[in-house]
Amino acid sequence: MFFTLLISGLVIGSIYGLIALGYSMIYKSSGLLSFMQGDIMTLGAFLGITFYSYAGLPFPVALLLVVLISIALGFAIEKGVIRPLLNKNTMAIYIVLATIAVSYIVQNGSMLVWGTITLNFPSIFGISTIKVGNISFQPEALMCIVVGFFCMFLLQIFMNKTRIGTSMRAASMDAMAAESCGIDVSLSTGLSWGLSAGLAAIAGMLIGPIYGVYTTLGATIGRKGFSSAVIGGYGNMYGAIVGGILLGLVETFGTSYVSSTYRNLIAYVLLLIFLLLKPTGIFNEKAIRS
Amino acid sequence: MDKTKKMNPLMLAVIAACIGLPFVFMGAPFILLILCYIEIYIIAVSGLDIVFGYCGQISLGHAAFYAIGAYGSVLLHKYYNVPVFFSMLIGAAIGAVIGAIVAYTCSNLVFHFLSLATQAVGEIVYILISHSPGNITGNFVGMYTDSVSIFGFKLDNQFKFYWFGLVCVLIFLALKQALINSRTGRAFMAIRENVKAADGMGIDVRMYKVKAFAMSAFYTAFAGALVTHMTKYASPDSFLYKQSVMFLTMLLFGGTGSLWGPIVGSISVLVINESLRDLQNLQMLVFGVLMLIVIIAIPGGIYGTAKEYYDNLKAKKSAGKTDAGTAVSEKKGV
Repeated sequence: MFFTLLISGLVIGSIYGLIALGYSMIYKSSGLLSFMQGDIMTLGAFLGITFYSYAGLPFPVALLLVVLISIALGFAIEKGVIRPLLNKNTMAIYIVLATIAVSYIVQNGSMLVWGTITLNFPSIFGISTIKVGNISFQPEALMCIVVGFFCMFLLQIFMNKTRIGTSMRAASMDAMAAESCGIDVSLSTGLSWGLSAGLAAIAGMLIGPIYGVYTTLGATIGRKGFSSAVIGGYGNMYGAIVGGILLGLVETFGTSYVSSTYRNLIAYVLLLIFLLLKPTGIFNEKAIRS
Repeated sequence: MDKTKKMNPLMLAVIAACIGLPFVFMGAPFILLILCYIEIYIIAVSGLDIVFGYCGQISLGHAAFYAIGAYGSVLLHKYYNVPVFFSMLIGAAIGAVIGAIVAYTCSNLVFHFLSLATQAVGEIVYILISHSPGNITGNFVGMYTDSVSIFGFKLDNQFKFYWFGLVCVLIFLALKQALINSRTGRAFMAIRENVKAADGMGIDVRMYKVKAFAMSAFYTAFAGALVTHMTKYASPDSFLYKQSVMFLTMLLFGGTGSLWGPIVGSISVLVINESLRDLQNLQMLVFGVLMLIVIIAIPGGIYGTAKEYYDNLKAKKSAGKTDAGTAVSEKKGV
């Protein structure tokens, strides 16, 4: 019982973590909030089904394709919607609302294409359960946790060790100074929106086989992802993951040991508690200025 | 002087429409219903305008206050037999108190994080009304309630309700204008423009934020009470997160920080939304696309942009006159 709960807590936790990672990247690179991560996650899951199940591509190829498409989509949204608004110097609320509009379009567009019923993401490994002692779990659950952690690790290396990652961090610290050092700031903010979309799509591909795929799959997870980002410290990469895992575990254990009626309440209550008492989160990220 | 003269025909047309439309559509209950909804949204969105348009504080959770007003009134009426009109006022007052509590605790949060906090408040209220302890709200099934009655006169159809709604709109809009033109309203705007400068001038920022949120919540909660007693039914579906987005969309469509912005916004968005209803599955998709187009093309909102255009035109005209004048005088000088 305990291990089953632990695994399902880690699964949903790493999903929250991936979504929160996207929020943190966007906040770090442009100081903005994006409300479309959740719905891009849904889109990723639907595209995954299409490539993997309908087109019969091998899973890694499908995953790569979905991620590339999502990165392109995120990049295009930044260039086509966010950048023009920023250039016009509009109030930040318009950008928030624009991302909400995009999320409506993505969510309802995918409903139009894939329908309203829950689609079954076929098993990836061909076996339905792994048994270790008397604990059994889906192999996809294990993959979700492993790939989730791997992505976080990879992103950390990308941001700290590569040239593009370094220029992205520079662009977020001081756009003008970065520009004068020859960094293409516009490219790097676009990239960070693209990468966040890519992360969301990976999350969708990972959760799809476990939860099934439906149009509102990402909406709730997207809103709870904010909670993980705030718990860890908004804008902090490690914080996003730790916050996500923590939220996933608290939610899963709380649901089974205390009450399942208020499962969805936990994330929002934690969000409020952290915002009010410790807005800098566990990792004491100074991004939130009061 | 000139301006009031020019506004007069437009004002007359608005007054004529307010009085004439319900008679014209007396036989069309659906259109009457939409007119009533417009009134309700005008009150709710004007409330949001106080906190966002004037005080500059974002809320992505106004559906929470909408729900508190609605359920507050319905529950008071059901369990304590409070007459409907008074239960609405008490429901709105409860909304205001909760708005004040939210604002007091969140007063240190800036823009983006205030939007996350208010969004969380909206979700929490939604979860509480859909999973109420002891099933007092009827949860997802919802609950039926009575129509508004004033001194025993029941407003049991849309035509009667319309006039009650109209009176409410006028009172709330007049109150809003009085508030905005008062010391409090000026403090709100000072906070919107620059919090630090406002604080430096001796404005108690926290107290005014609390006031703005409380007023705003009162408006929206009252609108929520109105809508449930008009439809005589309350269910959690009307108080989802997308309702908060709807309020904000209406406000931004119309234009923030004005008397007419929320009115223009409520009417246009509601009419657009209703006319898209035939598209069924496409409705929200088209709505999203329209939203995006308006945000990118006219970020000042319809009323805001029209006003700016009109003002520019006037400025150009007067500038043209003086230009011509100076040119002539220069020629004479030569």
